Amino acid sequence: MDKYVCIEKLAARRRNEIVVTTMGVAAPWARLSDGPLDFALVESAMGQGPPFALGLALAQPGRRIILLNGDGSTLMCLGALITIAQNPPDNLTIVITENGTYEVIGNCPIPGAECVNFETLARGAGFSQVYTIESDDDFDALLPLHFEGEGTPIFIWKILRAGEPVPKPQPYIRERAWCLRRALVGK
Amino acid sequence: MVSARNRRSRREELIEARVLLEEIRKNNVTHVVGVPDNGSRKLYELLKEDSRIQVISVTHEGEAFSLASGLFLGGKNPLILIQNTGFLESGDAFRGTAFNMGLPLVMLIGYRGYESMRSGAEPVDTAATFFEPTLKAWNVPYYMLHTTSESYLISAAFSKAAETSLPTAVIYPGECV
Repeated sequence: MDKYVCIEKLAARRRNEIVVTTMGVAAPWARLSDGPLDFALVESAMGQGPPFALGLALAQPGRRIILLNGDGSTLMCLGALITIAQNPPDNLTIVITENGTYEVIGNCPIPGAECVNFETLARGAGFSQVYTIESDDDFDALLPLHFEGEGTPIFIWKILRAGEPVPKPQPYIRERAWCLRRALVGK
Repeated sequence: MVSARNRRSRREELIEARVLLEEIRKNNVTHVVGVPDNGSRKLYELLKEDSRIQVISVTHEGEAFSLASGLFLGGKNPLILIQNTGFLESGDAFRGTAFNMGLPLVMLIGYRGYESMRSGAEPVDTAATFFEPTLKAWNVPYYMLHTTSESYLISAAFSKAAETSLPTAVIYPGECV
């Protein structure tokens, strides 16, 4: 699948959800939506998207958090899947964008690119709603599930390699973080 | 053989978990995030019995910083409870989330190896050697809590964190009983 098409479809359906992005998805998402509820976690801390999104989900049970996380980022903090699976919140959706590479540094292959199975990893961590999506038709059919349901679903998007550079969102992360907090709690 | 001086110092470093919990409650902590160790085990046990505080165990201390950052931005008041070895492991997660975001998070960090830095003591490991220099290098304000009677330092750390918008540490040698 083409990740640009996937995120355009996701953005078209998105309402008031918080969308947390990392690495190769951060800049393309920001071109579609870049408000207070769009949070690019990209000033390194690579791999920390899942626990960060979990914190937001636990703090804001009335609002869905959608995390768009790369495959390399997922591997960098694999234990976070177990942390989340202990008590998966109903308002968290995890997307793993799988292209087998660290895209933003020039598509160097991730460890295990040829053999790692993210669905097996997620199920082994304790998740029951895990969907590997390889075609546009399946994506369209499963898109509504990204926004609903109980527990924490994980979607693995099998995407084509692309050529996004290192994302450099503006303003600096401190201002973006406090902007998000103000949007959520007013201070 | 443990000298009388060392035996006395060890007694002083048995910190009452119940008192720490009272201080944590006083600061309206909503979540405690971290990894238990032999020093914090008793405090973790008490926290898990407290219906007002949600305890979240993470698999790796770096997660504690990003998870707590998400909680704080969502309006909660988390406390991070880890050992100094885990703090050292957390470097990039600490830097890339709590520190860069300027979040007033308080961390309670066990000071493994503190005894080994006493004059004449046999070295245990380098956890203690690297710990305080790392706190200073990473611009973390910190307080040293030696005894139960100093539990008020937890409140001092919350005040300091709010005042500076910096993650602030309370470090404690010994263990909670």
